[in-house]
Amino acid sequence: MSSSQDPLYAGLGQAVRIATDLLAALIAGGGLGWVCDTYLFDSTPWGIIGGLVLGGVTGMRNAYRSVQRWTKT
Amino acid sequence: MEDNPLHPFELHDWIPIALGGLDISINKAVVFMWIAVSLAAVVMIMAGSSRKLVPGKLQNLAEIMVDFIRTMIMETMGKEGMRFFPFIGTLFVFILFCNLLGMIPGSYTVTSQIAVTAVFAFVVYGISLVVGFMLHGVKFLGVLIPPGTPGWLVPLMIPIEIMSQLARPISLAVRLFANMTAGHVLLGVLFGMAISGGLLIGWLPFVFTVGINVLEVGIAFIQAYIFTMLSCVYLGDAFHLHGHDDHAH
Repeated sequence: MSSSQDPLYAGLGQAVRIATDLLAALIAGGGLGWVCDTYLFDSTPWGIIGGLVLGGVTGMRNAYRSVQRWTKT
Repeated sequence: MEDNPLHPFELHDWIPIALGGLDISINKAVVFMWIAVSLAAVVMIMAGSSRKLVPGKLQNLAEIMVDFIRTMIMETMGKEGMRFFPFIGTLFVFILFCNLLGMIPGSYTVTSQIAVTAVFAFVVYGISLVVGFMLHGVKFLGVLIPPGTPGWLVPLMIPIEIMSQLARPISLAVRLFANMTAGHVLLGVLFGMAISGGLLIGWLPFVFTVGINVLEVGIAFIQAYIFTMLSCVYLGDAFHLHGHDDHAH
């Protein structure tokens, strides 16, 4: 964030953001896996397992990327 | 019934209306959304009506708010993002008024319903998709392959990027809803403790409720800010393909 905004609020914003980003990627991954399992292929339970793993990877990568962006300022 | 801390969030139809199988009943959340809209409209119209060179209290408040939103847009989207100013500004003021209205005892926090926040999030995300495809065409699908990805990683990166795109509206919706709900549940539980604890020990949770009330007002502002700031970031990503490292600070 920029120097024009209060660093306390910018920092709080970043902290709150990362926590939910981790969770949301997990929900998205699990949801996609579940859709694959139930509607697209008959692959229970592998879709949801793979989806959750990929979702976890995505969440960590997103958190890592936003922290990286944050330290550059 | 009173033992359930989620009880205040239950909605009961006040005026049941069914329109062709569609349930558009009026309940507490709908009424408080109307109140938030009209309050926001009245405050902003009154603040904007005088337009003095030396602003009064209300005009000053509105000017601070407008300036704040303008800075946020300029920093995340750049100059061309200003055409989204009316949308982003409306979003910010509406969410802020909903959050603050919920802090009045006896009222209802509209943003503690995930249906409301999910609609906000999906509208924002839908707009960013439409803008992206309008500006870049099929090339917009290139967001699925981040720059600098080695060729052998592409089959892995595409599902990961699809998930991280899907996670955007979910995280927007869940963040606002969860923060507002959690804060009010916490307040409810602490008040319950204060009442059942009696005078001897009940003052302790009561002191906490005072502190957390202050914190909640802060959270009302921070959540409105984060929601609109991330909306700006997502819309900005649609503008500048792969360009967010140059300007998104």
